[in-house]
Amino acid sequence: MSLTRRDFLAGGLLATGAGLVVPPVLARGVLAANSDGVHNDHVLVVLQMGGGNDGLNTVVPYADSAYHDARPTIGVALDKVLHLDGSVGLNPALAGLKSLYDAGRVAIVQGAGYDNPTYSHFEALQVWEYADPQRRATDGWLGKLMAAQQKAAADSLAACALGQASTPAELRASGATVSVIDSIAAYDVQGGAVRQAAAPALYKRTPGIYGALFDQALSTAESGIAALKDASSYKPATQYADTATVYGSKNSIASSLQLTAQMIVTQPGVKVCHVVLGGFDTHQDEAVRQTALLTDVDRALSAFMQDLDAHGVADRVVVMTWSEFGRRVRENGSRGTDHGSAAPVFVVGKPVKGGLYGAAPSLTDLDNGNLKHTVDFRSVYQAMIQDWLGGDAQSVLGGSFPTLPLLA
Amino acid sequence: MSTTSPLRVRLTRRQALGLAAGGAAGAAGLRLVTLHPWGGGSSAGTAASASAGGANGAWASPLGSGPRPLAAHLLRRAGLGYSPQELDAAAKLSYSDLVDKLVSTKAEQPAALPAEQRFQYQMVSRWWLQHMATTAAPLPERMTLFWHGHFTSDFRKANALPFVYQQNQLYRRLGTGDLRSLLLGVVYDPLMIRYLDLDQSTAKAPNENFSREVMELYTLGAGNYTEQDVREGARALSGIRFVLLDSGGAPLQLPRRMGMTAKEYAQQLAQLIDAGATFAGRLQPRVHDTGTKTYLGRTGNLGPDEVVDTLLAQPSCAPFIATKALTYFCTPSPSKDLVTRVANQFRSSKYDVKTLLRAIFTSSEFTDPSSYRSLVRSPVDYTVATMRALQRPQLVPQAMAAGATMDQVLYDPPTVAGWPVNAGWVSSSAWLARVNFAQTVVAQRGVTLPDVTAGLHAQLDGVVGPDTASVLNHAATDADRWYALLSSPEFQLK
Repeated sequence: MSLTRRDFLAGGLLATGAGLVVPPVLARGVLAANSDGVHNDHVLVVLQMGGGNDGLNTVVPYADSAYHDARPTIGVALDKVLHLDGSVGLNPALAGLKSLYDAGRVAIVQGAGYDNPTYSHFEALQVWEYADPQRRATDGWLGKLMAAQQKAAADSLAACALGQASTPAELRASGATVSVIDSIAAYDVQGGAVRQAAAPALYKRTPGIYGALFDQALSTAESGIAALKDASSYKPATQYADTATVYGSKNSIASSLQLTAQMIVTQPGVKVCHVVLGGFDTHQDEAVRQTALLTDVDRALSAFMQDLDAHGVADRVVVMTWSEFGRRVRENGSRGTDHGSAAPVFVVGKPVKGGLYGAAPSLTDLDNGNLKHTVDFRSVYQAMIQDWLGGDAQSVLGGSFPTLPLLA
Repeated sequence: MSTTSPLRVRLTRRQALGLAAGGAAGAAGLRLVTLHPWGGGSSAGTAASASAGGANGAWASPLGSGPRPLAAHLLRRAGLGYSPQELDAAAKLSYSDLVDKLVSTKAEQPAALPAEQRFQYQMVSRWWLQHMATTAAPLPERMTLFWHGHFTSDFRKANALPFVYQQNQLYRRLGTGDLRSLLLGVVYDPLMIRYLDLDQSTAKAPNENFSREVMELYTLGAGNYTEQDVREGARALSGIRFVLLDSGGAPLQLPRRMGMTAKEYAQQLAQLIDAGATFAGRLQPRVHDTGTKTYLGRTGNLGPDEVVDTLLAQPSCAPFIATKALTYFCTPSPSKDLVTRVANQFRSSKYDVKTLLRAIFTSSEFTDPSSYRSLVRSPVDYTVATMRALQRPQLVPQAMAAGATMDQVLYDPPTVAGWPVNAGWVSSSAWLARVNFAQTVVAQRGVTLPDVTAGLHAQLDGVVGPDTASVLNHAATDADRWYALLSSPEFQLK
C-alpha cells in the first residue's frame, strides 16, 4: 500500500522526535491512518436518496424513442436533457452535477441492481444496506467495515450519520460505533457541569439486553462532544442553499452536507459519513417533486464540492449516492411511476475518474415492465471499500465482484 | 440542606445490599442494586437472574414478587405510564381484573378541537398528546398510537384539510374493535387515500402504492403475495375518492380553493365542519375498474370490500398482526409458538382486537422475568410517561419540541412502515435528546416537583442498576434526583 501525502507528512512529524508537539488534529489523523479497517485518510460520504429515485428521469436515455413512448407526460423533453453522450443525458435539474461531470469529477454507474429484485421499499433497503440480495446478513455493510477500524482506533467520530437523529441501518453492526449528529449545536448535555457528569455516569454498566447499546450511545456522545469542541473553527467557504425541506423529505440535504464538510474539515478521524434525503417515492406528480428533490441534491452537492476545494480537502473525499430501487419504465396514471428495479449510482469527487460506467439498461427487453440490471451494485461498494478506503472488500461483501475502475 | 433525606439513607443501605449480591454473581456480571424490597418479602438477592441479560447481567425482575410491580409493568405497556396514585389504585386489583379493566374501558373522547385547528397537524398532535397525558382510559389511547404507527400516514398531503384529525378520531373509535371494521375504515380514510395515492388511481391507470403496502405492511407481510397480486389489487382498489358530506351524510360540493391561501381555505372549510360536515372516502363507479380480477387466489369483479375480506382470509394475516402487536407490547422477538397461540385466538375471535390484547397480556411470556424491561420506550412513550409521572400535562409543548430531536414527530413517520421499535430508537443524538428533555422538565421555574422517593418506587419499581444508584446517591437536590430518574436507562425501558 502506498503512503498518501498525509500519512507521509504525519509520519515525518512523529519521526522528528523529542521537542516537537504533534498538533492534536494530526495525532488523531495518524491514529486513524494506522488502524485495522481502513488504511488511509480518505473519507467516504454516502448520500441516500430515500424512497426509490427514478433513474430513468435522472440519467435520461433521451435518444431512445421507447423512453418517450413510456413517459408521455413526465418524460424529460429532448431539448432539456443535459447531454452526456449521444444516447444519455442528465435531468436539467442536475446542472451543477453536469459541470462536475464535465470537469471529470463524476462517475455514473448505469443499471446498478441485482438478480431477482424486490419491489418492496423495505426489502430493497435491506438489500442495499446489508449488501445482500438474499437479505440474510444482519450487519450493515459500512458498519461491518468500520467495526474492525474502530476496534483499533476507538474513534467515536469515524462513522457519522449527519443531519438526522437515528442510526442508518448500513452503519449498524456489532462492534461498530456510530455518532448520530443532527446538529453540532444540539449535540451536548444541557444543564451545566452537574448534568454533564451525571448523564454519562448513568450509562456505564447498564444491565439487560439493551445495556451495551444504551451505554455505547451515551459514551459515543460523550467523546464526540469533547472532540467537537474544536469544530467551531470551520466556516463554510461557499453559500449552501437555504435549508427549507423539499416536499416529502424530513431532512435538508444542504445543511446535512454542510455539517459533513464541517466534520471532515475539523475532525481528522472521520472516515464514513451518511446523509439522507427522502421523498423520492414519486407515485404521483413526479415531474414537480423529483425536480425539486434533484435540484436540492444538485445545489447541495455542488456547494459541498466547492467547500471541500476551498478547504483543501477535496483530495480526501468521495461521495456515493444510492437509492433502494429505480422506478417502473412506463409511467402510471398519476403522472408518476411505481416501484421498479435498476438505477444509476453517482460517485462524485476530485479523486474520481469521471465518465459513464456500465451499460444503460434496455427499455424494450424488460422483466415484467422493469429494467434488467447491467451492473451488480456491490461492484460499486467493492470499489469504495477496496480502492477508496483501502479496506478488505471480500470480508465485508462475502465475495468479489467485477471491478469498476471508478477512481483516478 | 438535607444530607439525611430518607431517600439517601435508604439508597445507601440498599446499595450495600446490592454490592453484596454483586459479589455473589461472579463471572456472570454485576448483580443489581435493589432499592426497596417488594411486599416486604423479596430482596435484591432473590429476584436477580444474571444470565442472558447482556454483558452486565439481566435486570432483577420484580414481576413475581407482588401485585404492584406487575401492575406497573402492565400500565407502562398497555397504558401510557402513571402517577404513583394511579399505580396504587391499579395494584389494588388482581392482575386479571386489571387486564380486564384496561381492555374493556371505552375510549375517552378528548375535548373537541376547534374546527380551525383541525387543519394543522401540530395542533392535532398537541391536542392528542394532551389527551395521552391525562386520559383515564389509557389503553384505547395506546391503541390509537399503535394503529397510527401501523396504518401510518404522514401529514403532508393533507395540507389545508382536516384529515389528520379525522384519522386520529377513526383509530380511537375503531382501534379496540374488530380488525375488519378498522381496515375498511383505513381503506376509506381520507388521509390514507391521499397518503398512498388511492385518490390518483383509476380503472385506466391503477396506482399500486396502497395495494402493495396494504399487503406488505398492513396485513400479510412480504413473501405472502405476488407482484401480480399487487397489480390486481390496485385494479380492485381503483376509484376511491374523498368527498365532503353534510351532517346527514349527503354529499356537499367541496368549496373551490382557487386564489385562496391555505389559511383562508381552511377557514371556509371550518365553517362547514362547525355545521357538522365531515370528509369520507367513497368508491366512485366511473373511475373504478369493474372488470374481473384475480387477487390472492380469488377471482371476480372485486372491489375494496372484497380486497379487505380476501386479506383477512389469508392464513398469514393473523400471525402478521400478532407478531407486530407482540413486538410492540410483549417481547422484542416473540417465539413462533407465542405468535401462533396469540394469532389463533385473534383469528377465531373474528379479529377482535380486545381478544388479541387479552391474549398478549395474559400470556406467560408477558409476565416472565425475561419480559421485564425488554422493550424500549418510544419518544412519545417517554415524554408522555414523564408527564404522567409528574402529573404535568403542561409539558406538552416541551414534549413536542423534544420529539423532533428524539426522532418522533407524530404524523411524520420516517417511512410508510411507521415507527421503529426498541433498538431502532437508540442513537447517540436521540439519547442526548432524552437526557436534555429530562433537564428541561426539572429546570422549569416555579414548579414544585412531586415526591421523588415515591416517584422512584413507582416508576422504577425500586429496581435500579449500579450506575443509577450511584448517581442518585450523589444527587444533591430533588431536581437532581428527578433528573437521574428521568434520564436513567431504567426509565427508558418498559
